[in-house]
This record gives sequence, structure tokens and C-alpha cells, in this order.
Amino acid sequence: MILSLLIFLPLIGALVVALLPDNQHIPFKWLTLGVAMAELLLSVVAYTQFDQQQAGYQLLEQADWITLPLGNLGVVSIDYLLGVDGISLPLVVLSSVILLIGVLSSWTIENRQKAYFSLYLLLSGTIMGCFVALDFFLFFLFFEFMLLPMYFLIGLWGGPRREYASIKFFLYTLLGSVLILLVMIGLYLSVMDPVSTAVMAGLATDAASVDQDLIRLVQAQLADMHISSSQIVHTFDLRYMADGGNYLPNAFLSGAGETTFWGIPARMIAFWAVFLGFAIKLPIVPLHTWLPDAHVEAPTPVSVVLAGVLLKIGGYGFIRIAWGLFPDGGAQYAQTLAGLGVLSIVYGGLNALAQNDLKKMIAYSSVSHMGFVLLGVASLTSEGINGAIYQMVSHGVLSAMLFLIVGVIYDRTHDRRIDSYRGLLQVMPHYAVLTAVAFFGSLGLPGFSGFVGELFTLMGGFQSLWLPGWLPSVAVSGIVLAAAYLLWSLQRMFFGPLWTRDGVESTLTDLNGRERLMLIPLGLLALLLGLLPNVLFNLSNATVAQWLEKFNV
Amino acid sequence: MLPIILLSVFGIVLLFMGFLKSKVLLLPATLVFILAALATTFMDWGKTYLYFQNMLLTNNLAILFTTIVLLSAFMVVALSNSFIEDEQAQPAEYYALLLFSLVGAIMMISFENLIMLFVGVEILSVAMYVLAGSDKHSPRSNEAALKYFLMGAFATGIMLFGIALLYGATGTFVVSGIKSYVYTNAYGVSLLLYMGIILLLIGMLFKVSAAPFHFWTPDVYDGTPGLFTAFMSTVVKTAGFAALFRVLSVSFVGVYSFWWGTLAALTCLTLLIGNVTAVYQTSFKRMMAYSSISHAGYLLIGLTALGTQTKQALVFYSLAYSLATISAFGVLLVVSRQRQDTNGVNENFDAFNGLARQNPLLGFVMAVSMLSLAGIPLTAGFWGKFMIFTTAADKGIYWILVFAVLMSTVGIYYYFRVIIAMYFREGAAEPVKVAPFYRYVLIAATILTLVLGLAPGLLEGLV
Repeated sequence: MILSLLIFLPLIGALVVALLPDNQHIPFKWLTLGVAMAELLLSVVAYTQFDQQQAGYQLLEQADWITLPLGNLGVVSIDYLLGVDGISLPLVVLSSVILLIGVLSSWTIENRQKAYFSLYLLLSGTIMGCFVALDFFLFFLFFEFMLLPMYFLIGLWGGPRREYASIKFFLYTLLGSVLILLVMIGLYLSVMDPVSTAVMAGLATDAASVDQDLIRLVQAQLADMHISSSQIVHTFDLRYMADGGNYLPNAFLSGAGETTFWGIPARMIAFWAVFLGFAIKLPIVPLHTWLPDAHVEAPTPVSVVLAGVLLKIGGYGFIRIAWGLFPDGGAQYAQTLAGLGVLSIVYGGLNALAQNDLKKMIAYSSVSHMGFVLLGVASLTSEGINGAIYQMVSHGVLSAMLFLIVGVIYDRTHDRRIDSYRGLLQVMPHYAVLTAVAFFGSLGLPGFSGFVGELFTLMGGFQSLWLPGWLPSVAVSGIVLAAAYLLWSLQRMFFGPLWTRDGVESTLTDLNGRERLMLIPLGLLALLLGLLPNVLFNLSNATVAQWLEKFNV
Repeated sequence: MLPIILLSVFGIVLLFMGFLKSKVLLLPATLVFILAALATTFMDWGKTYLYFQNMLLTNNLAILFTTIVLLSAFMVVALSNSFIEDEQAQPAEYYALLLFSLVGAIMMISFENLIMLFVGVEILSVAMYVLAGSDKHSPRSNEAALKYFLMGAFATGIMLFGIALLYGATGTFVVSGIKSYVYTNAYGVSLLLYMGIILLLIGMLFKVSAAPFHFWTPDVYDGTPGLFTAFMSTVVKTAGFAALFRVLSVSFVGVYSFWWGTLAALTCLTLLIGNVTAVYQTSFKRMMAYSSISHAGYLLIGLTALGTQTKQALVFYSLAYSLATISAFGVLLVVSRQRQDTNGVNENFDAFNGLARQNPLLGFVMAVSMLSLAGIPLTAGFWGKFMIFTTAADKGIYWILVFAVLMSTVGIYYYFRVIIAMYFREGAAEPVKVAPFYRYVLIAATILTLVLGLAPGLLEGLV
């Protein structure tokens, strides 16, 4: 129930806002704020109800949604199936925090408030849906439908080149999602639902009486081809897709890998297709070019949500779907994949170093930091995966903070160039302190969350049996680069005598109450996560340990 | 059978109604006639009948295709209220021709004898040739009619040649007779049969505007008055695919290995040409012409991967495509008429600038129809594409699937240009006026698109 509420509260909110008359006096922002606070409350309740010792999915909800007979292919049965585990719950909580901060940051939106907040709530609902959906199809629907509100949020409230940036964002991500769609169809044709199949094959009287032993029996019968094709019930259930025993023998994506294209097993191609789909979202060099454009044109709150939450869906997809359903692919190409991660770390860092636009610099630093997520996942070690999840949460908090910091200065002067400012410390001391917190957190200073995430992913990289030692060694240079571009910016903008390019010193006022309300909690959160990393590791560890069992072949 | 008779009689009645001084009655009368035909169609539901000395065969599939065709026609006619004010227009004749063309379409859908297919194609086409040129004083409309007629005459000629060769090879015009010929001579099919299949395919692919027989499409769609373009791109295409499906799935399924390669190549060519060329259009109407070519490509995938669920995919896809296309043309019609530029009616993308601001409803209708055509989830178009892609995946033709998926990404680009214009650009200040009934039709089509997107299982069990 609670997960459904997480999805439908914002969706209903979006509908309500859309149906209300477009009136100046209706407090759309307060309504949205209320929904966002309720979301945070709900996710905290979900957190407390979650049993951290257990590895499996919890808070499950299931209902039939779409049933579509497809002749020979059996029935497309799409379930409304929700649940969380140690991988998705941290991201759910993160999303509700960031989305709440995003609402506060949207306070300055004056233009077309009704449409804005309606789209914002729609976006919130689809994001939550993505993290809690356990039916691949349901996940895909949320994943793809999320693009629309984002597209309009960038395209309608963005900067001067918003049309270009929004369509680029849409096309890139859509290309990724069609690749995922292809694999999804292939998986659907290859996987059976052991419970319903048992009922269809007459091995059980009803779904409730199917237990683990019977499932094993059904899987054995399937492997021996004792079950006729008309009795096999196909499924989109991610839980069943993750179990190799449920794959039909001789099916397109079955484990044995009979189907090959140009000598490459279809499973490997499918792995790369989903990998690319989520790599675009993360993003991974060289598929990252939409990100700087989108960030530069997006208004501050949209940037916050984009960097804080949306990118995490890429990393979540890696763990849940790309590696989760194709462990053989993740193992076989571990080196290449980690190499891509390291490339992102270094390339993103170097690019960030070269930027003069503060927002673009932070966008590239996101590319660099998300590279650590890929490195951690590709390492296939407990440290690496836990670190990747940690890094996602940490980056969610810190990047949201960084984009808010850009927003603060941009709101005042409409100029984001780093070399337009000097000596801001003198007029904006509180701003300078919080900027320093965010920058030091991002560059991996011990005590802040960024340090833990990077440390654990790197530890994973060094410990991994699959990776050569030089890969994580090169990745370490990403931390050095981060220190360089962040400290250099800090020094250029905040220290020295006060000076601005356009002589707008008088507009530079220190943080107001709302800005403090956004920045201080995020800063504290980064500190808290840095000092007590176990809060998060306890949550993810059991699930990750079970997840890694697939790789102990 | 009854709808064919009824529509023919109604068409003649409409011609006589044209003698009345008042044109007011024509539109409601036509709508009632189409509804009557639709109601009689369902009298045969659940049964299989042979009519007219075994020349027509109705079954559930034929009834569903007929329903889509009649529904499309109903919506197109409902959007035609502008004829009342237009001095030049002769609505009685237009409506009569529309009804006659529906007769042709239903014959194409339910033929059992290839002669009936030919007669159906001709009835449909001749009516469309006239309607393409119905804007008598516009050179573009005249050009469209001439072009359509010349190219169409060639195509039907080639098709007739193909039918003749099939008769030469098999000694029968009957669809099921050809099937039994193919099965009894599985190892030594006459060469004439192959020739016949190819020529028949060419004729039919011309009608559904598949590449490389698509050259007429942009000019004809562009020149034809918008309302009839909507009719052309939905009714003609649905009927054409119904006919193709019947002939391929019944007669030629035994020689699948012979024609599927050709069809697969043409499918890819159609997808490529339709999608890539659509990107470069400045006119919305020409974009829709290329978009209709690309949708022919998607439908062809279903035929290339002919299997048990092809018919369901085709029905769903045609319905989704027809709904979206008609609402898109519906919006185009009002907008282009009221936002004219120096050349008269403005059918370019910039006509839609700022539309969502002034007319949120029209903007929403157009946005949903573009999203559905682009195949975004929670619209009917997504499920259409999904079913089509699943047929290909089931048949194991993955390369065509990958190609189609890439092409559908290209499609997003040009469909979103309309959305960009409507939502992101500044445009004329005054809103476009829309008549109430017109609005209801658009709303109904949009709601249907969304409902089918949320619950595609509604059509479950019908096919």
C-alpha cells in the first residue's frame, strides 16, 4: 500500500493541479510542497518498515493490470508489481528528499505555475514508479513516460537554447529506452513464470500452493522440455527474469546461448543493448553529450532533480537489470565496462577542468562521479556494489547542492561564468561556507559522503578478481582532477578582492531563508552520511550479498 | 453484404439530396448512414458467411477492419462542417463519393474472389481520384488528382495483370482455391504464380504507399483538400492492408519463403524513406504524408513476419494509426484555415506556433496524437508498435526489429517538431475557433487513444 501511495500521491496531485483553474490565487506551490513532504514521510515510513537483515524484496504489492493475448506467444500479462530491496530503498528515500528540495527551489518559478507544478508532480510520480516497479514492463512504462514531463520542464522553462537541449535529451534517452524495449521483448519470450506455469501444467491446483520445491520441479521439467509450449506462461516479472532456471531451453535469450549473431551469443548482445540504454541515462562517455546541454538550459530545480535523481536510474538499471538479468555479460566484459567507467571519470574530470560556465563544470563533474558508479558495479565485489549505491546517494545529495549553489548566484546576476566573480566571500560569507562544504564533499574530503562512495568503489576495483590493478589506479586521478577543478573554482570565485565583470556587486546579497533551508539540510546530510556510512551500508549490504551470489560461478 | 448494399443506396440518396436548397441536412444524414452501415456490419458477428456467389466472405476479422474503416469515415465526415459555409463546395457529391469509396473499401476487406478485390480497389480509387481534385480552382488539387489518377491507373493495371497470371497458374480467382493449388503443388509451383504474386503485390503496395511505389504520396496528400487526405491516409491504408493480409495469409502462405524476403526488403526501404524524408519537411501535411509511408512500413513488418498474431497486431495498429491521424488532420484543418499566410491556407509547422497557449484543448489533442504516432507508452500507438514488434520477434526476424526500432527514434524527431511549435514557440494571439461538435469528435478520438493506451486488452478476444 505504501509504495502505491508513493507513486499515486504525486500522480493524483498532478491531475488535481492540472484540473484546477489557472488562477493566480491558487497556491500551486504549497500544494506541491505538501505532496512532496507527504512523499518524504511515506518514504521514511517505508524505511522503518523495511527489515534490513533480509535480502529479498519487501513491501510487495501485486495486481493484474494488462492482459493481452498474443496467439502463439501466450498471454502478455503485465502485473502491477511493486517492491523494494536494499538497492532501491536508498534511492527511493534519496528521491523523496531531492524532490522536496526541488519544490523549494521551484519557489521562484513565476511563469505558468500551474503547468510547471503539474509536470513536476508527474515527474515525481514516475521517478518513484521507476524505483519500486518490479515488473519489467511497468518499469519500462515509468522509465519512458518520465521523459515527457522532463522534456517539457526543460523545453518550457529552460534557457535560450532550450529547444535544442530538450529534444537532444529526449532523443538520446529514447534511443536508450528502445534498446531496452527490444531486450524486454526478447526476455519476455524467453522467460516463464514458474508459479503460473505450474498451475497451467497441472502440477499445482492454485498459485498459493506453489512452494520452492515445486518451482524447482517446474524448472527441471522445463529444462527437460516436459512442459509443452502452450502451457508455458511468459512473464515480465523481474524476480523470475533474474533466475536462470526460468529461461526456456532453446529460447532466444536462454543461458546456454545457442542463438548467436556473427558468432556473439544473443545474450551478450542483449546485455550490451540494456547496458547502452542505461549508460545513456547515467551517462557514460561517449554517450554523455546530452547532459551538459540539458543542465545548462534547464532551470535550477530541474537541474537539481536531473542530477540528483534521474541519473541514478541509470545506475539502478545497471544493478537491477543489466547485471541483474545478464550476470554472464557483466562478468565476461567486466574489464571493458570498468574501462568505460574509468574513461568517464577521467574524461569528465578533464572536461570539468576546462569549463568556464559553473553549471557546465558541475555537469561534467557529474559525468566523472557517475563513472565511479560504473566502476563499482563492474568490479563485482561487495565493496564495489555497496560503494556504487553509496556513491549514487552521495552524488544525489551533493550534486543537488551544487546545482542549487549555481542557482543562487544565477538568480542574482544572471551570469554563471566563473571568471566573472572574485572575492564573493566578502559579501556572501554564508554562501561561501556552504559552497565550500559542497565542493569539499564532492572532491572526496574524508568526513563527507563523497569520500566514502569513491573509496569503496575504488576498493572494489582493486579487490576485484575481474579487473587489472591499473584501472582503478587511473580512476584515482579522477579524485585529483575533482580537487583541481573544484578548488580552483573556489579560489577564483570567492577569494581575493571583491570584483564582478558587470559591476553588479550591489545585487550580491547573502543567502535568504529559503536558500538556507535547502542548502543546510543537504550539507548536513552529506556530513551525516560521511560520518555514519553504516546507515546506508546496513540497508544495502544483505541485498548486495545475495545479488553477488550469481557471480560465484 | 448488407453494409455494401446500404452504402450504395445511401450514396445515391445523398446525390438526390443535393438537389435540396439547404445543405444543412447532408452532414447529419451522412453520419446516420454510416452508423446504419456500421450497425448492420455487426449482424454477422461471430459467424463466417459467403455472399454473392462465394465472392465475398465475412468473418470477425473482416468485420473489425470494416469497423475501423467506417469509424474513420464517420470521424472524417464529422469534421467536415466547413462545407456548409463554403460556396464552392458540393457536399452532396463529396459525401456520396465518400460512401461509394467505403463500398470499395469493404469489398477490399472481405473479398473471396480476386475479381472482387480488383473491383473494390477500382471503386475506392476512382472515388478518391475525384475527391483529390475536389478543390477545383486550386492548381495543386488538380495536380494531385491527375497524378493520383495516372499512377493509380498504372498500379491497378499491373495488379490486374498479376491477377490474370495467377488465374493462368491456378485456374481460379478464388482465394482459397489458390491456397489449395499452392498446397497440392508444393514442389512444382508454376512460374506464373510467382510472377502473379509479385505483380499483385506491386499493385497493392502502391495503394498503401509503400516504397518504392510511394512517389505519388507526398504530392497527392499535399494537394488534396485536408479532409480527404485524412480519409485517404486512414481508410485507403486500412483497406489496403486488410486486403494484403487476406491474400498473403490465405493464398500465398504456402510460398512464404518466396515472398517474405522481398517484402522484408521493401519494409526496410519504406521505413527508411518514410522516416528520413519526413525529417526534412517544412509542411506539416507533407510530413504527415511521409509519416503515413513510414506507418505503412510498420504495418508491413506484421505481414513480413506473418504468424498467428499478425491479424491482431494489424487491427490494433490500424485503429491506433487511424485515430491519431484523424485527430491530427482535424486540428490541422481548423488551424490552417484560420491562421492563413500570404499563400492562403498555412499548412506549415509554424501555423501551430503557440497553439497550446491559445487553445489548450487543440494542443493536447495534437500532442496526444503525435505521441501516439511516435509510439510513446500509454498511448494506443505504443501498443500497436509493441504488437507489431512482437510478431517480428516471435518469427525471429530480429534485424528488421532493430531497424524498425531505430527508425521509430527518428520518428520522434519530426513528431516532436509539432509539439515544440505548439508548446515552446510564441504565435498568434487570438485563439482558433472550434465548433462544439468538432471539438467532441476530437476529444472522443483522443480519449479512445488514451484508453487503448492504458488498457490495450479491451480488444482482447475480438480477433
